[in-house]
Amino acid sequence: MTTPTATAPEPATAPLIPPSTHRYADVIHRLEAGGSMLPDTPENLMQIIGIYKAYAVPMDFYWRDLLYIAEQVFLDPLPAFKYFISQEYLDLPNSYAGDQSKLRIWRGGEKAHPELLEFMAKGEAGRMPKLLHHLWHDRINMEFAEACMEAMLWHQGMGGRFYDYLASDAYRANADRAIKAYFRGNPLMLGLYRLFPEMFMEQVKKMSYYANLGLFWEVMAPVFFEMSDIYDEGGFKGVPDAMNFLVNGIFAVAGRPIYHHVFIKGECFEIIPKSEGFTWLYEAALPYVEAVFYRTAPFRGTKSYNAQAYQVPADQADFHYGILYADVFPVGSAGIPPTLLMQDMLHFLPPYLEELYKQHKRGDEDKLIQLGITFQRSMYNVTSAVIQALRCALLYPLDDTDPEHLLANRRFFEAQMDRFLRPEARLPQIQTQDYR
Amino acid sequence: MGSSSLLLLLATPLAGTLLVPLLPATFSSVRVRGFAALFGGLQLLVGLLCWQHPPADLQLSWLPKLGLRLDLGLDGLSLPLVLLTALITSLAILSAAADQSRPRLFFSLMLATNLGVVGGLLARNALLFLLAFELILIPITLLVAIWGGENRAGAAVRFLLYSAVSGLALLAAVLAFAWFNPGGPAFGFDDLHNAQIPPAAQRWILALLLLAFALKLPVVPLHGWQPFTYSQAPTPVVMLLAGSVSKLGAYGLLRFGVGFLPDTWAAWSPWIAAAGAISAVYGALNAIAQSDIRRLMAFSSLGHMGLLVLGLSAATPLSLQGAVAQMLAHGMIVALLFACVGLIERKTGTTAIPELSGLMNPLRGLPFTMGMLLLALMAAAGIPGLAGFPAELLVFEGSWTTFPRATLVSLIASGFTAVYAIRLFNRVGFGRLDNERADWSSTCWSERAPAMALTLLVIAAGLWPTALTGWSESESTRLALRSQPFLTGQVSTLADSGSHLVAVTFPSAAELRTS
Repeated sequence: MTTPTATAPEPATAPLIPPSTHRYADVIHRLEAGGSMLPDTPENLMQIIGIYKAYAVPMDFYWRDLLYIAEQVFLDPLPAFKYFISQEYLDLPNSYAGDQSKLRIWRGGEKAHPELLEFMAKGEAGRMPKLLHHLWHDRINMEFAEACMEAMLWHQGMGGRFYDYLASDAYRANADRAIKAYFRGNPLMLGLYRLFPEMFMEQVKKMSYYANLGLFWEVMAPVFFEMSDIYDEGGFKGVPDAMNFLVNGIFAVAGRPIYHHVFIKGECFEIIPKSEGFTWLYEAALPYVEAVFYRTAPFRGTKSYNAQAYQVPADQADFHYGILYADVFPVGSAGIPPTLLMQDMLHFLPPYLEELYKQHKRGDEDKLIQLGITFQRSMYNVTSAVIQALRCALLYPLDDTDPEHLLANRRFFEAQMDRFLRPEARLPQIQTQDYR
Repeated sequence: MGSSSLLLLLATPLAGTLLVPLLPATFSSVRVRGFAALFGGLQLLVGLLCWQHPPADLQLSWLPKLGLRLDLGLDGLSLPLVLLTALITSLAILSAAADQSRPRLFFSLMLATNLGVVGGLLARNALLFLLAFELILIPITLLVAIWGGENRAGAAVRFLLYSAVSGLALLAAVLAFAWFNPGGPAFGFDDLHNAQIPPAAQRWILALLLLAFALKLPVVPLHGWQPFTYSQAPTPVVMLLAGSVSKLGAYGLLRFGVGFLPDTWAAWSPWIAAAGAISAVYGALNAIAQSDIRRLMAFSSLGHMGLLVLGLSAATPLSLQGAVAQMLAHGMIVALLFACVGLIERKTGTTAIPELSGLMNPLRGLPFTMGMLLLALMAAAGIPGLAGFPAELLVFEGSWTTFPRATLVSLIASGFTAVYAIRLFNRVGFGRLDNERADWSSTCWSERAPAMALTLLVIAAGLWPTALTGWSESESTRLALRSQPFLTGQVSTLADSGSHLVAVTFPSAAELRTS
């Protein structure tokens, strides 16, 4: 391992509190100086912005299809065509892009991204019937998005009120109305609903998480597109700039409502109405980061985990299989969600990242792994933004002159870094450029 | 085709041995490698021509006072082994690293080894055989001593000592053949076969032959040099050593033991079969316990040599045919195994099993090499459809009627092959690829080519077993000492035809019971 290529800026005056003695003291000092967990180097900036762009294009499909499934497919017992998104949802205006948006984050259009549409038409294999593209997996892999949704559904209870609401009488009444309306005229399914009501209720809860994640990513896609455009214009000077853009974005859309509407025969059923007051930051963004970046679940296909041998923690809070801990090297094994995401991003890499990957390791051969590690770096930056946003919301400014406040910030940062003391955490690796 | 082709088979490696060191210093090691491989390729080509147009035996006087004559010949036993040696020499040379150090000397010594092996296979004179047998000792010792691993000096000395004992034993046996020949000293194979050597002398000679060739194969308990040498020698050398040189030991047992001393061989065969079965079990069990891939392969090879010895000891037409098939199949399989191990070692820098995992990783591992290794392991384990299966099947089928217990024990040992194969692959191929270590480049096509050629041959021989068994069908039938119930008619017909190589035919166990 080489020495870190960047360190926290030196404070101009004597520090008000003593240096941290934490194992990740360097990282903590960098966070205290307004930096990111990711060192501020030109290559890191290039890598993370490039991958944000490559991530945003499939994400533009993910959020549209997640909402399509939550709102239109809903409880279809044989949802074989749930990934065959309707034109209506491809044209669905993004709330944060296009002229119609009240808060315009990206300067681009509100409909599906042109690169996405181009890929959907041709894929890698060229023009052929949509069904063949689907069966050949020459498409956007929604399976990854569903794996993220399932992580959120399964971990639940990570703060916020969303999960509790799913057990409330109001939610059950709304879900009941939607179920009965959806299966009106279908005595078989209605009979099954009578026999196994909880099974159907569980499916509706799952649909609510589809909506939750779709609404979360509807915000993130234009954020990443805009970051890519700013970088192309030479707008970001370093990694902290990119992180601060995210922090500002988080606060700008923090209050965005999280809801679940279902459209059945033209009628809208509000299973989770906007009036419940669920908001983007607390009910979607933070649970998402916790469930997907930190926890998720041991992915099938890479390693056999034996729960009876205690290879899987009994407490879900101890799960640590997310991208911040992920061993990206198994990427490439068939069917596992990280590979599916890497394959999706592979189609939309900006030329400068293509060139970078050619110059390192096995070049084109192991591009999937190289971009996976870039993705890991970029998600450490997103997590840094979330940590800074939480610090901003819950604690004190970084330039506060009260040592007590600074110590409170220090304790917060150290507590966050404690989560990376596990041997699986990749925080030490991303401090160097030779981790690729 | 004239007998000059026999001389060509020897002249090709000899020319290579002499010419390769003379290549200009400006030649890169890759070009030297290509030039050296050319001689192996030419030899293979001449060998194939000899197959299509069998050459007449060649008899030239060399040192008549010593009884040394350049008597050369090819038959169904030696031709396939000559082809195998030429093939493995070429592929072993091509398996060397592109930046092979001191390439001229290295490849020259490889070709000198080939000269020794092919000389031994072509020899129709015991003294000439001995000369060729001894010739191998020098280049292999130098190859291990100069280019070997960390403990190369020890490995080279051990190989030298064991080989010297083997050579001395063979020398004594060859001289004894001459001394005890009532017809006067002669070393020609025909003379040896027709010699009426007293039974007591036969026993001494066979003991010496067993010592000489069991050291070369090797067979337990004479295997002390093998794991050490295999673990220290450079990969191309091990390919040649395990794939070809060791087969000269089996060939010697078949030619001299079964062929020239049939009565004593038949009398001692239960003990020889027991040694084979013990080797098979000992090799397989030790292979399971190894933590280094090279040593695992070495013990695996030892186990398979045990099966070969079992086939030779039973000396039925089928078992001898199986033994020859096993020589060919194992030669290809073990060369493939070591070619794959060489690639793994070149890329990862180690063959220590605990340090390796996840090599099947499609992007950062060595999936292609591991695929070939898996196939080679399957072939070694005797999976149907690959080269190992027909050879082992013939050995077991041929030996069963004569030595059911030893065959049963060897069958179980063969089952253990699957255990260490799966254990090795599970540990090295699967699991987590070490992020810290996995920083090697992938194998390129030129590196894979020798192993790919062997892979194709292993598959082809599995699908078309005649490629393994067809060569020796008539020879092994003529050499057979025992019949088998379902082949009795065939053997007796040949025996009645007056073939001078058919020896005593013992009744099988089943026949004894019915009588």
